[in-house]
Amino acid sequence: MTPSEPSLQGLDDIDRDGAIREAASRLPTTSRRGFLGAAVAGGVLAAVLARPAGARAAASSGDIAILNYALVLEYLQAAFYTEAEQSGALTGIAAEADRVIGAVERAHVSALRKALGSAAVKRPFFDFRGNTEQQDAFLRTAVAFEDLGTAAYKGQLARISDPALLAAAASIHTVEARHAAWIRYLAGVTPAAEALDPPFSMARTQQLVASTGFIVQRPRTNGRRPPRFTG
Amino acid sequence: MAAIHAFDEPEATTRGEFVRVLAVGGVLVIGGLTLAELAPRALSAPSRSQDVQILNFALRLERMQAALYRRAIERARLKGEALRFARTAEGHEREHIAYLERILGSSARPSPRFSFGNATSNASRVLSTAVTLEDASVGAYNGQVANLTKGALADAMRIASVDARHAAWIRSINGQPPAPDAIDTPLTEQQATQRIARAGIR
Repeated sequence: MTPSEPSLQGLDDIDRDGAIREAASRLPTTSRRGFLGAAVAGGVLAAVLARPAGARAAASSGDIAILNYALVLEYLQAAFYTEAEQSGALTGIAAEADRVIGAVERAHVSALRKALGSAAVKRPFFDFRGNTEQQDAFLRTAVAFEDLGTAAYKGQLARISDPALLAAAASIHTVEARHAAWIRYLAGVTPAAEALDPPFSMARTQQLVASTGFIVQRPRTNGRRPPRFTG
Repeated sequence: MAAIHAFDEPEATTRGEFVRVLAVGGVLVIGGLTLAELAPRALSAPSRSQDVQILNFALRLERMQAALYRRAIERARLKGEALRFARTAEGHEREHIAYLERILGSSARPSPRFSFGNATSNASRVLSTAVTLEDASVGAYNGQVANLTKGALADAMRIASVDARHAAWIRSINGQPPAPDAIDTPLTEQQATQRIARAGIR
Protein backbone atom coordinates (compact mmCIF):
# COMPACT_ATOMS: atom_id res chain seq x y z
CA MET A 1 0.00 0.00 0.00
CA THR A 2 1.37 3.41 -0.92
CA PRO A 3 1.77 5.82 1.98
CA SER A 4 -1.00 8.17 0.94
CA GLU A 5 -3.49 9.80 3.29
CA PRO A 6 -6.43 7.66 4.26
CA SER A 7 -9.91 8.66 3.27
CA LEU A 8 -11.58 10.42 6.17
CA GLN A 9 -15.03 9.70 4.85
CA GLY A 10 -17.37 9.41 7.79
CA LEU A 11 -15.19 11.45 10.11
CA ASP A 12 -17.87 14.11 10.21
CA ASP A 13 -20.15 11.68 11.93
CA ILE A 14 -17.88 11.14 14.87
CA ASP A 15 -15.73 14.25 14.84
CA ARG A 16 -18.53 16.77 14.72
CA ASP A 17 -16.49 19.42 16.42
CA GLY A 18 -13.39 18.82 14.36
CA ALA A 19 -11.09 17.95 17.27
CA ILE A 20 -9.56 14.92 15.61
CA ARG A 21 -9.04 16.74 12.33
CA GLU A 22 -7.71 19.77 14.11
CA ALA A 23 -5.26 17.63 16.03
CA ALA A 24 -4.15 15.95 12.81
CA SER A 25 -3.86 19.27 11.00
CA ARG A 26 -1.50 20.61 13.63
CA LEU A 27 1.16 18.15 12.59
CA PRO A 28 3.82 19.30 10.20
CA THR A 29 2.80 18.06 6.75
CA THR A 30 5.66 15.65 6.27
CA SER A 31 5.42 13.84 9.57
CA ARG A 32 1.64 13.77 9.26
CA ARG A 33 1.85 12.13 5.84
CA GLY A 34 4.50 9.78 7.05
CA PHE A 35 2.59 8.78 10.14
CA LEU A 36 -0.77 8.39 8.45
CA GLY A 37 0.78 6.35 5.69
CA ALA A 38 2.54 4.09 8.12
CA ALA A 39 -0.57 3.70 10.22
CA VAL A 40 -2.77 2.83 7.28
CA ALA A 41 -0.22 0.45 5.84
CA GLY A 42 -0.57 -1.80 8.84
CA GLY A 43 1.14 0.59 11.23
CA VAL A 44 1.12 0.99 14.95
CA LEU A 45 -2.51 0.49 15.89
CA ALA A 46 -3.18 -2.29 13.41
CA ALA A 47 -0.02 -4.05 14.58
CA VAL A 48 -1.13 -3.77 18.17
CA LEU A 49 -4.58 -5.09 17.43
CA ALA A 50 -3.51 -7.87 15.11
CA ARG A 51 -0.82 -9.28 17.39
CA PRO A 52 -1.49 -12.96 17.87
CA ALA A 53 -2.61 -13.50 21.40
CA GLY A 54 -1.48 -16.34 23.56
CA ALA A 55 -5.00 -17.70 23.75
CA ARG A 56 -6.71 -18.06 27.08
CA ALA A 57 -8.49 -21.33 27.38
CA ALA A 58 -11.78 -19.70 28.35
CA ALA A 59 -12.06 -17.17 25.53
CA SER A 60 -12.32 -17.65 21.78
CA SER A 61 -9.69 -16.04 19.58
CA GLY A 62 -12.41 -13.75 18.25
CA ASP A 63 -13.29 -12.55 21.74
CA ILE A 64 -9.62 -12.02 22.58
CA ALA A 65 -9.15 -9.88 19.48
CA ILE A 66 -12.20 -7.78 20.42
CA LEU A 67 -11.08 -7.34 24.04
CA ASN A 68 -7.62 -6.30 22.88
CA TYR A 69 -9.18 -3.83 20.48
CA ALA A 70 -11.22 -2.40 23.36
CA LEU A 71 -8.09 -2.37 25.52
CA VAL A 72 -6.21 -0.18 23.03
CA LEU A 73 -9.09 2.32 23.01
CA GLU A 74 -9.17 2.30 26.81
CA TYR A 75 -5.37 2.78 26.97
CA LEU A 76 -5.81 5.77 24.68
CA GLN A 77 -8.55 7.32 26.80
CA ALA A 78 -6.88 6.56 30.13
CA ALA A 79 -3.58 8.08 28.99
CA PHE A 80 -5.37 11.16 27.68
CA TYR A 81 -7.29 11.91 30.90
CA THR A 82 -4.33 11.08 33.10
CA GLU A 83 -2.03 13.35 31.13
CA ALA A 84 -4.63 16.15 31.21
CA GLU A 85 -4.92 15.77 34.99
CA GLN A 86 -1.16 15.96 35.39
CA SER A 87 -0.84 18.94 33.07
CA GLY A 88 -2.76 21.01 35.61
CA ALA A 89 -4.35 22.98 32.77
CA LEU A 90 -7.98 22.14 33.57
CA THR A 91 -10.15 24.06 35.99
CA GLY A 92 -13.54 23.75 37.67
CA ILE A 93 -15.99 21.07 36.57
CA ALA A 94 -13.85 20.11 33.58
CA ALA A 95 -11.04 19.19 35.99
CA GLU A 96 -13.46 17.17 38.09
CA ALA A 97 -14.87 15.34 35.07
CA ASP A 98 -11.33 14.61 33.90
CA ARG A 99 -10.40 13.15 37.29
CA VAL A 100 -13.51 10.95 37.54
CA ILE A 101 -13.52 9.77 33.93
CA GLY A 102 -9.77 9.15 34.03
CA ALA A 103 -10.17 6.89 37.06
CA VAL A 104 -12.96 4.98 35.32
CA GLU A 105 -10.97 4.52 32.11
CA ARG A 106 -8.03 3.25 34.16
CA ALA A 107 -10.43 0.80 35.83
CA HIS A 108 -11.56 -0.36 32.36
CA VAL A 109 -7.93 -0.88 31.37
CA SER A 110 -7.17 -2.96 34.41
CA ALA A 111 -10.39 -4.97 34.06
CA LEU A 112 -9.66 -5.76 30.41
CA ARG A 113 -6.04 -6.61 31.21
CA LYS A 114 -7.22 -8.94 33.93
CA ALA A 115 -9.73 -10.58 31.60
CA LEU A 116 -7.07 -11.06 28.92
CA GLY A 117 -4.26 -12.20 31.21
CA SER A 118 -1.13 -12.93 29.24
CA ALA A 119 -3.01 -12.30 25.97
CA ALA A 120 -3.33 -8.57 26.75
CA VAL A 121 -1.57 -6.26 24.29
CA LYS A 122 0.99 -3.82 25.65
CA ARG A 123 0.23 -0.15 26.11
CA PRO A 124 1.25 1.85 23.02
CA PHE A 125 3.01 5.24 23.25
CA PHE A 126 0.91 8.37 22.93
CA ASP A 127 1.45 11.94 21.90
CA PHE A 128 -1.66 14.06 22.37
CA ARG A 129 -0.06 17.05 20.68
CA GLY A 130 -1.01 19.69 23.17
CA ASN A 131 -4.65 18.64 23.53
CA THR A 132 -4.17 17.79 27.21
CA GLU A 133 -2.75 21.24 27.96
CA GLN A 134 -5.61 23.53 27.08
CA GLN A 135 -9.19 23.24 28.29
CA ASP A 136 -11.09 23.85 25.02
CA ALA A 137 -8.88 21.45 23.07
CA PHE A 138 -9.20 18.92 25.89
CA LEU A 139 -13.01 19.07 25.81
CA ARG A 140 -13.23 18.80 22.03
CA THR A 141 -10.85 15.85 21.95
CA ALA A 142 -12.65 14.13 24.83
CA VAL A 143 -16.00 14.47 23.02
CA ALA A 144 -14.49 12.80 19.96
CA PHE A 145 -12.89 10.02 22.06
CA GLU A 146 -16.07 9.18 23.98
CA ASP A 147 -18.34 9.24 20.93
CA LEU A 148 -15.80 7.03 19.18
CA GLY A 149 -15.53 4.67 22.17
CA THR A 150 -19.32 4.28 22.29
CA ALA A 151 -19.54 3.55 18.55
CA ALA A 152 -16.53 1.20 18.61
CA TYR A 153 -17.90 -0.95 21.46
CA LYS A 154 -21.32 -0.99 19.84
CA GLY A 155 -19.80 -2.27 16.60
CA GLN A 156 -18.37 -5.31 18.39
CA LEU A 157 -21.08 -6.37 20.86
CA ALA A 158 -22.94 -8.69 18.50
CA ARG A 159 -19.62 -10.35 17.57
CA ILE A 160 -18.71 -11.38 21.14
CA SER A 161 -19.41 -15.06 21.69
CA ASP A 162 -18.91 -15.42 25.47
CA PRO A 163 -22.15 -14.26 27.20
CA ALA A 164 -20.29 -13.02 30.30
CA LEU A 165 -17.86 -10.95 28.27
CA LEU A 166 -20.75 -9.64 26.19
CA ALA A 167 -22.63 -8.45 29.28
CA ALA A 168 -19.52 -6.75 30.65
CA ALA A 169 -18.69 -5.07 27.34
CA ALA A 170 -22.28 -3.82 26.94
CA SER A 171 -22.21 -2.33 30.44
CA ILE A 172 -18.89 -0.59 29.75
CA HIS A 173 -20.33 0.64 26.45
CA THR A 174 -23.16 2.52 28.18
CA VAL A 175 -20.64 4.10 30.56
CA GLU A 176 -18.73 5.41 27.53
CA ALA A 177 -22.03 6.87 26.30
CA ARG A 178 -22.56 8.55 29.68
CA HIS A 179 -19.06 10.01 29.48
CA ALA A 180 -19.77 11.26 25.96
CA ALA A 181 -22.93 13.01 27.14
CA TRP A 182 -21.22 14.43 30.22
CA ILE A 183 -18.28 15.88 28.29
CA ARG A 184 -20.60 17.18 25.57
CA TYR A 185 -22.64 18.96 28.22
CA LEU A 186 -19.48 20.60 29.59
CA ALA A 187 -18.34 21.48 26.06
CA GLY A 188 -21.70 23.13 25.34
CA VAL A 189 -22.77 20.69 22.60
CA THR A 190 -25.93 18.60 22.72
CA PRO A 191 -25.30 15.48 24.88
CA ALA A 192 -27.51 13.25 22.70
CA ALA A 193 -27.32 14.32 19.07
CA GLU A 194 -29.30 11.47 17.53
CA ALA A 195 -32.07 9.07 18.47
CA LEU A 196 -30.00 6.03 17.47
CA ASP A 197 -26.26 5.85 18.13
CA PRO A 198 -24.30 4.36 15.21
CA PRO A 199 -22.00 1.31 15.47
CA PHE A 200 -18.50 1.62 13.98
CA SER A 201 -16.51 -1.23 12.46
CA MET A 202 -12.97 -1.99 13.64
CA ALA A 203 -11.57 -0.76 10.33
CA ARG A 204 -13.34 2.57 10.58
CA THR A 205 -12.33 3.07 14.20
CA GLN A 206 -8.70 2.21 13.46
CA GLN A 207 -8.69 4.64 10.57
CA LEU A 208 -10.10 7.43 12.73
CA VAL A 209 -7.62 6.79 15.53
CA ALA A 210 -4.75 6.61 13.04
CA SER A 211 -5.82 9.93 11.53
CA THR A 212 -5.26 11.68 14.88
CA GLY A 213 -1.61 10.71 15.08
CA PHE A 214 -2.07 10.23 18.83
CA ILE A 215 -0.51 6.75 18.82
CA VAL A 216 3.20 7.00 18.09
CA GLN A 217 6.11 4.63 17.62
CA ARG A 218 8.05 6.01 20.59
CA PRO A 219 7.64 8.84 23.05
CA ARG A 220 8.07 12.25 21.49
CA THR A 221 8.90 15.54 23.08
CA ASN A 222 7.34 18.23 20.94
CA GLY A 223 4.76 19.38 23.50
CA ARG A 224 5.10 22.48 25.61
CA ARG A 225 5.48 20.33 28.66
CA PRO A 226 7.53 17.19 29.02
CA PRO A 227 5.34 14.23 28.05
CA ARG A 228 4.22 11.83 30.72
CA PHE A 229 3.11 8.44 29.52
CA THR A 230 1.42 7.29 32.60
CA GLY A 231 -2.11 6.29 31.54
CA MET B 1 -42.34 -14.17 30.45
CA ALA B 2 -41.12 -17.34 32.10
CA ALA B 3 -37.84 -17.01 30.26
CA ILE B 4 -37.28 -13.48 31.54
CA HIS B 5 -38.35 -14.16 35.08
CA ALA B 6 -36.07 -17.17 35.33
CA PHE B 7 -33.40 -14.49 35.58
CA ASP B 8 -34.70 -13.24 38.89
CA GLU B 9 -32.76 -15.25 41.37
CA PRO B 10 -31.63 -13.88 44.71
CA GLU B 11 -28.07 -14.71 43.76
CA ALA B 12 -28.28 -12.55 40.66
CA THR B 13 -29.54 -9.63 42.73
CA THR B 14 -26.67 -9.93 45.16
CA ARG B 15 -24.22 -10.08 42.34
CA GLY B 16 -25.83 -7.06 40.69
CA GLU B 17 -25.31 -5.05 43.85
CA PHE B 18 -21.84 -6.44 44.36
CA VAL B 19 -20.47 -5.26 41.03
CA ARG B 20 -21.31 -1.63 41.73
CA VAL B 21 -18.09 0.25 41.68
CA LEU B 22 -16.75 1.23 45.03
CA ALA B 23 -15.22 4.67 45.13
CA VAL B 24 -12.91 4.59 48.11
CA GLY B 25 -10.61 7.53 48.53
CA GLY B 26 -10.73 8.25 44.83
CA VAL B 27 -9.64 4.72 43.93
CA LEU B 28 -12.12 2.89 41.75
CA VAL B 29 -12.40 -0.84 41.96
CA ILE B 30 -14.81 -2.97 40.02
CA GLY B 31 -15.82 -4.95 43.07
CA GLY B 32 -12.58 -6.91 42.90
CA LEU B 33 -14.07 -9.02 40.13
CA THR B 34 -12.79 -9.92 36.73
CA LEU B 35 -14.90 -9.07 33.70
CA ALA B 36 -15.98 -12.64 33.18
CA GLU B 37 -17.58 -12.70 36.61
CA LEU B 38 -19.70 -9.60 36.07
CA ALA B 39 -22.38 -10.97 33.81
CA PRO B 40 -25.73 -12.31 34.81
CA ARG B 41 -26.23 -15.88 33.67
CA ALA B 42 -28.06 -16.48 30.42
CA LEU B 43 -31.58 -17.78 31.02
CA SER B 44 -32.20 -19.77 27.95
CA ALA B 45 -30.72 -19.75 24.50
CA PRO B 46 -31.61 -16.64 22.49
CA SER B 47 -34.56 -17.14 20.15
CA ARG B 48 -36.96 -15.05 18.12
CA SER B 49 -39.75 -15.60 20.64
CA GLN B 50 -37.50 -14.55 23.52
CA ASP B 51 -36.53 -11.44 21.49
CA VAL B 52 -40.22 -10.55 21.26
CA GLN B 53 -40.63 -10.75 25.04
CA ILE B 54 -37.54 -8.67 25.74
CA LEU B 55 -38.12 -6.05 23.04
CA ASN B 56 -41.70 -5.62 24.23
CA PHE B 57 -40.36 -4.83 27.69
CA ALA B 58 -37.98 -2.33 26.07
CA LEU B 59 -40.92 -0.87 24.14
CA ARG B 60 -42.82 -0.40 27.39
CA LEU B 61 -39.88 1.48 28.91
CA GLU B 62 -39.55 3.73 25.86
CA ARG B 63 -43.32 4.47 25.88
CA MET B 64 -43.05 5.31 29.57
CA GLN B 65 -40.18 7.74 28.91
CA ALA B 66 -41.97 9.45 26.02
CA ALA B 67 -45.13 9.81 28.12
CA LEU B 68 -43.18 11.23 31.07
CA TYR B 69 -41.53 13.90 28.94
CA ARG B 70 -44.75 14.80 27.11
CA ARG B 71 -46.60 15.25 30.39
CA ALA B 72 -43.68 17.13 31.91
CA ILE B 73 -43.57 19.57 28.99
CA GLU B 74 -47.32 20.16 29.34
CA ARG B 75 -47.54 20.45 33.10
CA ALA B 76 -44.26 21.02 34.88
CA ARG B 77 -43.32 24.47 33.57
CA LEU B 78 -39.86 23.36 32.59
CA LYS B 79 -37.40 26.03 31.59
CA GLY B 80 -33.97 26.37 30.03
CA GLU B 81 -31.83 23.24 29.83
CA ALA B 82 -34.50 21.04 31.49
CA LEU B 83 -37.02 22.02 28.81
CA ARG B 84 -34.43 21.50 26.07
CA PHE B 85 -33.68 18.06 27.51
CA ALA B 86 -37.36 17.06 27.75
CA ARG B 87 -38.10 18.12 24.18
CA THR B 88 -35.03 16.41 22.74
CA ALA B 89 -35.51 13.24 24.78
CA GLU B 90 -39.21 13.02 23.94
CA GLY B 91 -38.32 13.15 20.24
CA HIS B 92 -35.71 10.43 20.69
CA GLU B 93 -38.06 8.19 22.68
CA ARG B 94 -40.69 8.50 19.95
CA GLU B 95 -38.09 7.37 17.43
CA HIS B 96 -37.13 4.47 19.72
CA ILE B 97 -40.80 3.46 19.91
CA ALA B 98 -41.15 3.56 16.11
CA TYR B 99 -37.91 1.60 15.71
CA LEU B 100 -39.01 -1.14 18.14
CA GLU B 101 -42.53 -1.26 16.65
CA ARG B 102 -41.01 -1.75 13.22
CA ILE B 103 -38.85 -4.64 14.48
CA LEU B 104 -41.70 -6.26 16.42
CA GLY B 105 -44.34 -5.80 13.71
CA SER B 106 -47.63 -7.36 14.74
CA SER B 107 -46.01 -8.71 17.93
CA ALA B 108 -45.70 -5.18 19.37
CA ARG B 109 -47.88 -4.78 22.44
CA PRO B 110 -50.19 -1.77 22.50
CA SER B 111 -49.36 1.17 24.72
CA PRO B 112 -50.70 1.01 28.27
CA ARG B 113 -51.82 4.16 30.10
CA PHE B 114 -49.20 5.30 32.57
CA SER B 115 -49.77 7.03 35.86
CA PHE B 116 -46.98 9.29 37.05
CA GLY B 117 -48.51 10.29 40.37
CA ASN B 118 -47.14 13.71 41.28
CA ALA B 119 -43.89 13.10 39.37
CA THR B 120 -44.82 15.70 36.76
CA SER B 121 -46.11 18.35 39.18
CA ASN B 122 -42.91 20.40 39.17
CA ALA B 123 -39.53 20.58 37.47
CA SER B 124 -37.52 19.11 40.33
CA ARG B 125 -39.75 16.02 40.55
CA VAL B 126 -39.56 15.57 36.79
CA LEU B 127 -35.77 15.63 36.93
CA SER B 128 -35.43 13.03 39.66
CA THR B 129 -38.06 10.77 38.07
CA ALA B 130 -36.29 11.03 34.72
CA VAL B 131 -32.97 10.06 36.33
CA THR B 132 -34.55 6.93 37.84
CA LEU B 133 -36.31 5.96 34.63
CA GLU B 134 -33.34 6.47 32.29
CA ASP B 135 -30.92 4.72 34.68
CA ALA B 136 -33.32 1.78 35.06
CA SER B 137 -33.74 1.54 31.29
CA VAL B 138 -29.98 1.44 30.73
CA GLY B 139 -29.67 -1.32 33.34
CA ALA B 140 -32.60 -3.21 31.79
CA TYR B 141 -31.02 -3.21 28.32
CA ASN B 142 -27.67 -4.29 29.75
CA GLY B 143 -29.34 -7.08 31.70
CA GLN B 144 -30.73 -8.69 28.54
CA VAL B 145 -27.80 -8.58 26.13
CA ALA B 146 -26.88 -12.25 26.48
CA ASN B 147 -30.53 -13.27 26.02
CA LEU B 148 -31.07 -11.59 22.65
CA THR B 149 -30.28 -12.95 19.20
CA LYS B 150 -27.41 -11.08 17.56
CA GLY B 151 -29.63 -9.00 15.28
CA ALA B 152 -31.93 -7.91 18.10
CA LEU B 153 -28.89 -7.18 20.27
CA ALA B 154 -27.44 -4.80 17.68
CA ASP B 155 -30.80 -3.02 17.41
CA ALA B 156 -31.27 -2.75 21.18
CA MET B 157 -27.76 -1.36 21.76
CA ARG B 158 -28.34 1.53 19.35
CA ILE B 159 -31.12 2.62 21.72
CA ALA B 160 -29.38 1.70 25.01
CA SER B 161 -26.46 4.10 24.58
CA VAL B 162 -28.83 6.96 23.73
CA ASP B 163 -30.76 6.26 26.93
CA ALA B 164 -27.38 6.30 28.72
CA ARG B 165 -26.68 9.72 27.16
CA HIS B 166 -30.10 10.91 28.37
CA ALA B 167 -29.32 9.58 31.85
CA ALA B 168 -26.00 11.46 31.97
CA TRP B 169 -27.58 14.61 30.56
CA ILE B 170 -30.46 14.71 33.04
CA ARG B 171 -28.07 13.88 35.90
CA SER B 172 -25.87 16.82 34.82
CA ILE B 173 -28.87 19.13 34.92
CA ASN B 174 -29.96 17.69 38.27
CA GLY B 175 -26.50 18.12 39.85
CA GLN B 176 -25.85 14.38 40.16
CA PRO B 177 -22.76 12.49 38.94
CA PRO B 178 -23.49 11.72 35.27
CA ALA B 179 -21.53 8.46 35.27
CA PRO B 180 -21.28 7.24 38.85
CA ASP B 181 -20.01 3.73 38.10
CA ALA B 182 -17.16 2.27 36.04
CA ILE B 183 -19.62 -0.29 34.73
CA ASP B 184 -23.41 0.16 34.52
CA THR B 185 -25.04 -2.51 36.63
CA PRO B 186 -27.16 -4.88 34.54
CA LEU B 187 -30.71 -5.22 35.89
CA THR B 188 -33.25 -7.98 35.53
CA GLU B 189 -36.71 -7.04 34.28
CA GLN B 190 -37.99 -7.35 37.83
CA GLN B 191 -35.26 -5.13 39.30
CA ALA B 192 -35.83 -2.43 36.67
CA THR B 193 -39.58 -2.60 37.23
CA GLN B 194 -39.17 -2.28 41.01
CA ARG B 195 -36.97 0.82 40.70
CA ILE B 196 -39.49 2.45 38.39
CA ALA B 197 -42.39 1.57 40.71
CA ARG B 198 -40.50 3.10 43.65
CA ALA B 199 -40.34 6.37 41.66
CA GLY B 200 -44.15 6.37 41.67
CA ILE B 201 -44.74 5.37 38.04
CA ARG B 202 -47.53 2.87 37.45
